[in-house]
Amino acid sequence: MYADAVQKVIDELGRLPGIGPKSAQRLAFHMLKSPAEDAVRLTDAITDMKDRVRFCDRCFNISEEPLCLICSDARREPGLLCVVEEPRDIVALERTGGFRGRYHVLGGAISPIDGVGPDQLKVSELLGRMDAESVTEVILATNPNIEGEATAMYLARLLGPLGVEVTRIASGLPVGGDLEYADELTLGRALEGRRRLAGGPDSENGIR
Amino acid sequence: MLVQRLWLNDFRNYTSVELSLSDGVTAVVGDNGQGKTNLVEAIAWLARGSSFRGATADSMVRGGCDGAVIRAEVVDGQRTTLLEAELVASGRNRLQVNRNRVQRQSDFIGHVRATVFGPDDLVLVKGGPAERRRFLDDLLVDMQPSNHRLRSDLERILRQRNGLLRQAGGRATPEVLSTLDVWDAKLCEVGEELAARRVALLAELEPAAGDLVNLLSDGRSALNMAYESAWLEVGLAESLVGSRSDDLRRGTTTVGPHRDEVGLSVDGMPARSHASQGEQRSLAVALRLAGHGVVTSHTGSDPVIMLDDVFSELDPRRATSLISLLPDTQTVVTTAGDLPEGVVVDQRVHVHDGVVST
Ligand SMILES: [Zn+2]
Repeated sequence: MYADAVQKVIDELGRLPGIGPKSAQRLAFHMLKSPAEDAVRLTDAITDMKDRVRFCDRCFNISEEPLCLICSDARREPGLLCVVEEPRDIVALERTGGFRGRYHVLGGAISPIDGVGPDQLKVSELLGRMDAESVTEVILATNPNIEGEATAMYLARLLGPLGVEVTRIASGLPVGGDLEYADELTLGRALEGRRRLAGGPDSENGIR
Repeated sequence: MLVQRLWLNDFRNYTSVELSLSDGVTAVVGDNGQGKTNLVEAIAWLARGSSFRGATADSMVRGGCDGAVIRAEVVDGQRTTLLEAELVASGRNRLQVNRNRVQRQSDFIGHVRATVFGPDDLVLVKGGPAERRRFLDDLLVDMQPSNHRLRSDLERILRQRNGLLRQAGGRATPEVLSTLDVWDAKLCEVGEELAARRVALLAELEPAAGDLVNLLSDGRSALNMAYESAWLEVGLAESLVGSRSDDLRRGTTTVGPHRDEVGLSVDGMPARSHASQGEQRSLAVALRLAGHGVVTSHTGSDPVIMLDDVFSELDPRRATSLISLLPDTQTVVTTAGDLPEGVVVDQRVHVHDGVVST
């Protein structure tokens, strides 16, 4: 329908999550009308991001160095790990200002229909951190949906026998949603009200 | 509970619709294929968060559009609520209550409740077990919106568990078994709860439907509704252990609430095979009406009644009985022709090729 070059942009934009055919078309025509330097700035930003950004060797957060800013921050409490699905969940949790430990990014959640099992996630890397960093508590902050809950249960069963205290962020988050949609206050409370799933000292009833 | 106003954008064959609904009976008149049922579907979507015809979001969005919008002003007692749903062809639907975005579908769907009588209701009696399970689960959602989550969780867990079983290809490796354990635990959590709620609902439905069947047909007969489940007695956890090797071999979950059935029998004989077509129709209507009654008693107000092209399927005597049994509440009736005697219409709406006129 359109010149090949335009159609190509529409097709590429249409492949992005949340962009339907109409939106893709609108964006493409907007770009067509805008000054050439705008388009260059956008393509440069994307290329630059792809060139410079990598994943942290330890926690798999996005990083520009081998170790991310959080992993290399000596003020972070050692031995306390918060497990999340995606790097964007770290951003959400950091906004609460209520967490002083470090993170571990799984890269998703167990979801057989998407071909994702424990082997496709950074699970063995997580296990490897237990001894290496003398971890005492793991907070499971996977999303409060079916896949996130199943992943948390799987990890709790795996980590429990290692003697690590395993906790799960409290419910009260938008159920079925993603962490990134939760506001700071709700997320902060969920973190504070986490409950024990496995391991840890038997004498204690609660978390703190 | 009343749906006062309804707006549609790019929904099915409607580009744009704005409609005020009577709090009595609204007749939606038009030839077949003009979009009458689409109006019913839109209102029912607000109640269930899914199409009563089983359609995907994609097929409810008008061709070439990114999304469809269903908007309704709903009055319940003193409270007026504005509901807005944007169905996105691919991706997450956007839901708003009084202009506030809601994340949970169960926070959205409690505001409208609907009882839909359709021309295909005979499947409640003649169709497979899935039809009757759906009937029960729809009612559970109407009674308590949070049941929506129970139901969608069960579907999701089963999809995941079956996905895992298929990938395993019959080989029970340690990795498969350890993740299967997790899905089993999830399935038990949700499945036991849903089945318990179905059983409780059935206990309420059975006497009500039994009385209604007698009012709709000649003579008296005894209706029996039994929840038939292969696992309920021993428990789901144990049943899943017992069926695991079978499940692995067949690549699907062979036991659970998704395989349960509601056995309908009249005077001790299965209604599906032994009742006449007329009796089966009476039974289907009785089930819908009984469900409406149970929802009304649980929520304290009548759901909107929608009769979608039902009179073409009922003989005049049954049609008259149905009309006399309908509660006096907001009702939407669609028809291609005349309505039977006894239907007092307060408002008439004409539908032609996706255009609504009053
Ligand atoms: Zn890191």
